[in-house]
Amino acid sequence: MPAAVPVAGGTDLMAQVNAGQLRPAALVGLGRISEIRGWQYQDGHALLGAGLTHARMGRPDFAALIPALAASARAAGPPQIRNAGTLGGNIASAAPTNDALPVLAALEATLIIAGPQGARREVPVSHLLAGMEMLRPGELIGFVRVPLLHAPQVFLKATGRTGPGRATASVALVLDPARRGVRCAVGAIAPMPLRPLEAEQWVASLIDWDGERSALVPEAVQAFGEYVAAACIPDPAPAPDGTQETLPAAVLHLRRTVAALARRALGRALS
Amino acid sequence: MTNETTEVPVAPEAEGLPHGLGTTLPSAEARAKTEGTFPYASDLWAEGLLWAAILRSPHAHARVVSIDTTHAREMPGVHAVVTHEDVAGGPLPGHRTADRPVFASEVVRHHGEALAAVAADHPDTARMAAAAIIVEYEVLDPVTDPEQSFAAEPLHPDGNLVRHIPLRHGDAEATGEVIVEGQYRIGRQDPAPIGAEAGLAVPRPDGGVELYIASTDPHGDRDLAASRYGLEPERVKVVVTGVAGATADREDPSFHLPLGLLALKTGCPVKLTATREESFLGHPHRHPTLLRYRHHADADGRLVKVEAQILLDAGAYADTSSDALAAAVAFACGPYVVPHALIEGWAVRTNNPPSGHVRGEGALQVCAAYEAQMDKLAKKLGIDPAELRMRNVLATGDVLPTGQTVTCPAPVAELLSAVRDFPLPALPKDTPEEDWLLPGGPEGAGEPGAVRRGVGYGIGMVHMLGAEGADEVSTATVKVLDGVATVICAAVETGQGFTTLARQIVQDTLGIDEVHVAPVDTDQPPAGPGCRGRHTWVSGGAVERAAKMVRTQLLQPLAHKFGMSTELLQIADGKITSYDGVLSTTVEEAMEGKELWATAQCRPHPTEPLDATGQGDAFVGLAFCAIRAVVDVDIEIGSVRVVELAVAQDVGRVLNPGQLAARIEAGVTQGVGAALTENLRTPKGVVRRPDLTGYALPTSLDAPDIRIVKLVEERDVVAPFGAKAASAVPVVASPAAVASAVRAATGRPVNRLPIRPQAAVVTEPLPVPAAAAEATG
Repeated sequence: MPAAVPVAGGTDLMAQVNAGQLRPAALVGLGRISEIRGWQYQDGHALLGAGLTHARMGRPDFAALIPALAASARAAGPPQIRNAGTLGGNIASAAPTNDALPVLAALEATLIIAGPQGARREVPVSHLLAGMEMLRPGELIGFVRVPLLHAPQVFLKATGRTGPGRATASVALVLDPARRGVRCAVGAIAPMPLRPLEAEQWVASLIDWDGERSALVPEAVQAFGEYVAAACIPDPAPAPDGTQETLPAAVLHLRRTVAALARRALGRALS
Repeated sequence: MTNETTEVPVAPEAEGLPHGLGTTLPSAEARAKTEGTFPYASDLWAEGLLWAAILRSPHAHARVVSIDTTHAREMPGVHAVVTHEDVAGGPLPGHRTADRPVFASEVVRHHGEALAAVAADHPDTARMAAAAIIVEYEVLDPVTDPEQSFAAEPLHPDGNLVRHIPLRHGDAEATGEVIVEGQYRIGRQDPAPIGAEAGLAVPRPDGGVELYIASTDPHGDRDLAASRYGLEPERVKVVVTGVAGATADREDPSFHLPLGLLALKTGCPVKLTATREESFLGHPHRHPTLLRYRHHADADGRLVKVEAQILLDAGAYADTSSDALAAAVAFACGPYVVPHALIEGWAVRTNNPPSGHVRGEGALQVCAAYEAQMDKLAKKLGIDPAELRMRNVLATGDVLPTGQTVTCPAPVAELLSAVRDFPLPALPKDTPEEDWLLPGGPEGAGEPGAVRRGVGYGIGMVHMLGAEGADEVSTATVKVLDGVATVICAAVETGQGFTTLARQIVQDTLGIDEVHVAPVDTDQPPAGPGCRGRHTWVSGGAVERAAKMVRTQLLQPLAHKFGMSTELLQIADGKITSYDGVLSTTVEEAMEGKELWATAQCRPHPTEPLDATGQGDAFVGLAFCAIRAVVDVDIEIGSVRVVELAVAQDVGRVLNPGQLAARIEAGVTQGVGAALTENLRTPKGVVRRPDLTGYALPTSLDAPDIRIVKLVEERDVVAPFGAKAASAVPVVASPAAVASAVRAATGRPVNRLPIRPQAAVVTEPLPVPAAAAEATG
C-alpha cells in the first residue's frame, strides 16, 4: 500500500474511500497539472493528456480527431461522471467495463509514463492492461499516444438500460487505410479488451482499400461479426470422449450480442 | 356534507395561490428538497453523540457457535457493544407476523442479518470494533429455492410455511373449450429509498429513549422498540424526522432497535447512518414469486375458469407476507369476471433476504401473470388482445373470486377503451433522425433495422387500506388561533402528499389559507402506517371531521346571532357570509381571539378475514388502472426501450391534480424498473452487488413518455372525498403492460420479470427484414 495515492477525477477512487474500503494516508490531486488536461500533435500522432475528462473528449473537435474515443467518452456514464472522470483514470482503474479501454486497444495506443526524477518510459496500453507491465511506485500516467488515422472509427456498447449503464459488451473498430488494416477490440466481456486478430486480418484482406470500401458484401460483414464473437467467446474444448459441451444460455446471448455489435460496427465504418 | 363544503366556489383573486381541494397546491417540502435544505435523518446531530455500527452476517444460513465481543469492548473509543443478550424477550407486538429478532442468537437466517451493534466515539472506530467481534459460525446449507422450502428442515421455530390459502370459487370441475397454460417468475425488487436509513437515539432522564428516525409507522415502531427494550410504550418516543420518500416500510427493525439499545446502555445520544449496502441488506424487498396458471375460456374468449398456483418467497422472516399472499390470491384472476376459480397460494420462509411491504405487493406479481395469460389466450383464439380483455372486464356488482361483491366504482371497461383508443406515438421512421432514441440509449448500439415496435396492455387492481379485519383507524386534531390553522396528525408524509392534502382540507372547510401541519411524533394519537392510500382515506377523513367540528364551534355563536343554522353560513377567503350574502363578518372577528380545538377519528367499515377456502369480504375498496405500453426492442441484442405508457386510472376524485400526476408518473416508472432492470440477485442466498451500479434503477432516459389519458372520477361513496388510493395501482399494471408489449414485438413468451435481454431476442431470421420498425402490435 503506497503512502499516497494520486487522484484525478476520483469517480472510482473516492467512492472506495467514502465507503471505507480504502484509507490512503494521503491523496495527491492531479487536477491542477494543466499540461495533462489537453492534447498536442506529434508526427502523425496525438499526445493525449491523462487528465482529459470524458466531457472534453466527447466534444466535436475531439470527435473529428479520434471518433471512437469520443464516442466511448460520451457513453462513459451520466454527465456528472463524464465531467470528472479522466482518460488516465479509466486506464489506471482498468475495470473491464471502462469504455475507453477497447478503443485504446484497437488504436494500439502507447502510454507515456512519468516517473521520479524526470524518468519517462513508454508502455503499450495492452501490456499494462494484460498485467505484463505494471505502474511502479511513484509513477504516473502522463500521456496517451494514439495514431491519427483519418478514417472511420466506431465504438458501440450494449447495456442493460437506455440510460447510462455499464457495458455488458462493447466493440471498438478502427480502419487504418494507410496500413490497409482493420483493428477491432471487444470490451467488458473479459478482464481486458480482447483483439480478434485473425478476424481483423481476414476482413482487411476482403476490403477494396483503393476503391469503394462499402462494396464489401453484406455476407462478409455478417461473417466478420460471427468470427469476432467466436474468437472472443470460443466453444469449450471437447471432452476427451468427444462430447461437446454447449455454452450456458447467458453466454450464448453474450456471444450473439458481440456478433451483432461487431457486424454493426464494421457496417457503419465501411458505409 | 362533503360535497356541500367542497363545492364552495373558490375565489379566483385569492393572491393567485391555489388552495383547497381539487387544486395543485404545491408540497410544502418540495422547495427545501429541491434546494437541498431539507433536513434528512442523516443530518441529525446531538451534543456528545456516539456513532453506531452493526455487525451483519456474511452467511445466508449458519449456526452461531459463539460471539466474542471482548476485543471490540477493549478498543479505545468504544462505549458499548450489544448482542441478543441485551434484548428483552416476550411476544412481539404489531400488525405483522413478528418473527424477526433484533439480533440473531443461535442461528442466522439470511445474509446481512444483524448479530451485534457497537457505539463508539467515531464512525470508523465503531466499524472497526464491529469487525473485531469474533463470531464462530457453523455454516449450513441455505434453502434458497422456495419450492424446496416445503420439504426442508424448519428454518424457524414456526416452520417454513407462513400461510397457505386454497381458494375455491364456483365449480371446480368446470372446463373451457380453450385452455392456455403458463409458468411465470417475478424477481426481487428493492424499494431503493432515496437516502439510506439513518437515525439518532437520545436517552431520556426518566430512563426512556427518544428515537429520531424516518419511520413510516411511528407507533408500530415505538411499540416494537419498547417491547425489545423492556420498557412501557410511554417511555419510548419516536420522532419522525426527514422522510425522504418511501414506497415501502422505511425502517427495518434491525436498524432502529439497536440504536435505542445503545443509547440506553451508554446514556449518550447515538447516531447511525446506513451505507447503501446495509440498506440493501436490511430492509424488506418485493416478494420473488413463482406462478403457474391455467386459463379456461369459451370459443368467444370469455373466461370460464382460472386455476393458479402462487408461491411467494417470504425470505427469512414472515413480516407482512401474509397480507401480500391475501392480495395475490384475491387478485389472481385480475379485473376480469371469472365464474370458477381454483387458486392455491403459499408464502414460505427461505434463507433469502426478507420480503415485506413494497407498494403493490402481491398484486404486481399476479398482474404480470394473468395478463400474460390473456395475451396467450388472445393469440390462441386469434382475437385482438384488447378486445379479449374487453369481453371479460369486471364492473360494479360483479363478484371477485373471494366471493366479495364489488360495490365500489369499477370502471375497467372505460379505462381500457381510453388507453386503447389513444393515438399511438410516431414511429422512429416518421420522426427526424436527431430525435431518435433507440433501445440502448443515445450512445448505444441501436440500429433502426433491428428495432421492432410492440404494443401491449396491462390492467391492474389493488385493494385500499389494510385488509382482512385490520383496524384501520386514524385520529387528527385541528387547532385554530389568530387566523392560523394547525393540523396535528401522526400520518407520516412519505411523498404521498398527506401534508398538502391536510392543508387543502382545512382550507376548504374553514376558509383559512394559512394551514400548518405539525411534525409527527408518538405523543400524538396513532394514525397507522402509510400504505395503500391509507392516509388519504382515514387520516384525511379524520382531518376533515375535526375541521368540521371546529367550523361548527366557530359558526355556532354567529348562527345564533343571525338567527339561522350554521349550514346557511359560508366561509371563504377569511370571510363568513350568510347564504343570501346579506350578513357578513370576517373569520378574525368571529374568532374573538379564541383558540378552537377539535379532535376526530375516522374508521372505515370493517372487513373480515379470508376463510379456509379463501372466501370473505376482505377489502374496504378497490382501485383500477389500465396501461397501454409501446416499446421498441432491438431484437438482436434484446435491449428494450419503453417508448410510451398511456395510463387511465380510476381515482374516485382528483384532490390535487399536480401531485396525482406526479404519483402516477412515479408509480409507472417504478413499474418500468420492475419490468426491465430491477432485480436484486442473491445466488446461494448472498446478495450480489448491493449498490446502485449493480442494481439498475430507471434513469430519466429509461423513463418513457407517460400520457395520463384519462382519470375516471366516479366517487367512491364510502371513502372520504370519494378519492381512491392512487400510488400503488400504476406500479402494479405497468410491468404487465411492458411485458405484453415486448411479447407483441418479439413473439417470444416473456414469462419472467425483469425481462432479460436473451428473452427479447429473435434468433430465427425474420421473414420480412425490410419491414424495419413497423408496428406489429
